[in-house]
Amino acid sequence: MRRREFFGFVAPSVLVMAGLLVLPLYQTIAWSLQRVNYGETGTFVGLDNYTHALTDPRFGQAVLFTVELTLVVVATLIVLGYLLATLVNGLGRSRPFVLGILLVSYVIPQVVGGAMFSWLFNSNFGGVLNFLLSTLLGQDILWFASTWPNRIMVALNTVWSMLPFAMLVILAGLQSVPEEVVEAAQIDGAPTWRLHWNVIIPTVRGTLGFVAIISIMDVLRAFDQLIALSPQAVQLGNESVMLYVFNVAFQDGGQQLGLGSAVNVLLIALICLMLYPFIRGIAREARHA
Amino acid sequence: MIRSRTRLTCLAVVAVAASLAVSACGAGSRTAAATAAQVDCQFTAPAQPVSVNVLAYNSSAVDPFTNTMVKSCTRDGVTVNHEPIDFAGQVQKTTATLAGATGTYDILENYGFVVPTQAAAGKLRPLDDLFAKYTAQYGLDRISPEMRKVMTYDGKLYALPMQAQMYVMAYRKDVFDQLGLKPPTTFAEMRDAATKIQAAGQIKYPIALPLLASSDIITAYDSAMGSLGANFVDPGSKTPNFDKPQAAQAFEALRSLLPFMDPQVATFDQPAVQQQIYNGGAAMAIMFSGRMNDLTQASNNRFASQMAFAAPPSVAGGDILYNTLSVDGWSIPANTKADPDMLFSIIASSVGPDSSKASVPAAFPARQGVLTESSSPYAAAALASITKAPPAEPYPWTSVISNEIRPVVADVILGKTSIPDGQAKMQQLATAVLKQYP
Repeated sequence: MRRREFFGFVAPSVLVMAGLLVLPLYQTIAWSLQRVNYGETGTFVGLDNYTHALTDPRFGQAVLFTVELTLVVVATLIVLGYLLATLVNGLGRSRPFVLGILLVSYVIPQVVGGAMFSWLFNSNFGGVLNFLLSTLLGQDILWFASTWPNRIMVALNTVWSMLPFAMLVILAGLQSVPEEVVEAAQIDGAPTWRLHWNVIIPTVRGTLGFVAIISIMDVLRAFDQLIALSPQAVQLGNESVMLYVFNVAFQDGGQQLGLGSAVNVLLIALICLMLYPFIRGIAREARHA
Repeated sequence: MIRSRTRLTCLAVVAVAASLAVSACGAGSRTAAATAAQVDCQFTAPAQPVSVNVLAYNSSAVDPFTNTMVKSCTRDGVTVNHEPIDFAGQVQKTTATLAGATGTYDILENYGFVVPTQAAAGKLRPLDDLFAKYTAQYGLDRISPEMRKVMTYDGKLYALPMQAQMYVMAYRKDVFDQLGLKPPTTFAEMRDAATKIQAAGQIKYPIALPLLASSDIITAYDSAMGSLGANFVDPGSKTPNFDKPQAAQAFEALRSLLPFMDPQVATFDQPAVQQQIYNGGAAMAIMFSGRMNDLTQASNNRFASQMAFAAPPSVAGGDILYNTLSVDGWSIPANTKADPDMLFSIIASSVGPDSSKASVPAAFPARQGVLTESSSPYAAAALASITKAPPAEPYPWTSVISNEIRPVVADVILGKTSIPDGQAKMQQLATAVLKQYP
């Protein structure tokens, strides 16, 4: 390929990446060092916005909550996603229909799904699950006003909405496992759990890593579902980082673009930190490939 | 290959059908162009076709005015555009459209709470000259002077009032009659009534207030302080009043109601409070008047025929009620390029007698004489309430301070922070905000 052809093919992608990724990132970093309102030139304030965020106990709590939610949800997604994918992989002609039904929670906008999910637990709006659990346990559970019940509800909703994605990707990975490898293990008399643990899971390790990377990025940016599920998030300590950004920087027509940008830069750093082990693993595999 | 394509199609069809079936449950609108009146909207036709973009949230109280504007003023090369939006969306878009040298919208639905902040920043066009010019043509002298005052900042009118909302108390007449109770006129009487209702054993949480920690709770606190005769800020000295006894009394008053309210009350907005009434889960509720019409509809509320209405109580006796007067109106952004005379004609025609009548009973129109005691089951209560509302605080810092102190107010009411600590924090936050307004 000639150099001119190479640049001809690569240039559109580079332009799109620069326009949609590099420029916004540059602007975000620049604004994070300014006090700036919509449509106005900012005033340089150094690291004031970072200081404001890092000395705010609410931000610390938001980071803690978001990281805990991410760890719990991603672990659950990988385990349940793998189990579900294994079950679906064993289906015959009904597989497309089952897959279609399972995908519903993924295609519903999160804020809508969150509102619908909240009704299951809200005694004021029927609250079927709340009724069943309260009857079973003999006491009312304050799903929206108590910290841990609310966290459980938020985690359940996040898993519910993201599980189809994890299942679908892992299913694709399972379908790429060579049949002869599985048959060889079965002929050797490997029990089912060892077949999965020693043969299939190592084979789809890259796929599981991919699911983890995407899920970590998604859960760290949790926002929509909290609007419906955690109206008292600030008081409960269940404010995610993105909700914190919205609340302190943009709620009710606020215009703290500088503070919002600073928190977003910190969030990008957090995402990179949490993805580092996975990206390092992928890079290592690529080197050995 | 064909088989896999068929499977893929089946998969797609099932996914789309299922998601449509689910999402269709929430489809539909409570607003209808049927509420639009056809009025005389006079303006000089522009030389070139013009689009006038209107930003106004959808509600049964505001829609009649917006729909009238769109229906009557789209003519002679002028197209009035209005896209449906909720209140939170309006707030965000208002900030964005007012930010730069040019904006997306030419007419803004606005409310008294934020008008001073926007006016002080030079974001809105003063309307006094246009108001005077078109008073006779559109009968603007019948627009409530009190509501105009709420939309006035630094002696200039920045929004033409269309309708107002004030707190009204809704209560279950059957429950009250059965126990020989009368609508409470003070918080103490409200607690007594609630105690008796609880003791009767039918209703566990007799009182319902919108105290959503992320929004309504600050309005509730403001109303309580207002009823005790205190503003957030003393406008003369520009010092916050959160270190005053009334600030503590307001907290104590609201906290005294907690034993009579649902334990999750700080997650309840006004629709959730309406739902409590529909469920029979509460015997009395205090909300904005715009929410009362829903309570009187048998299609919503199985207790509709049992609903009665009264002015809200005062916190500790006296003439000023636990109340907030919120006035909605139309503003013209300073950054619009459209002809101001044309824009004012459009907004003035929308607050005329016909559209104001069309907004009743959902709204309390700004046009005097349209709403009478017989207009709706709660009209008398609304008329009694509006005369005893705390005075507005038309200052640019009011909305900013409200946003800043809201989490503290929620923490104090929920008992996470002591009243003195909360007062000190609020005083500190408000003082910092006031430094921006020398």
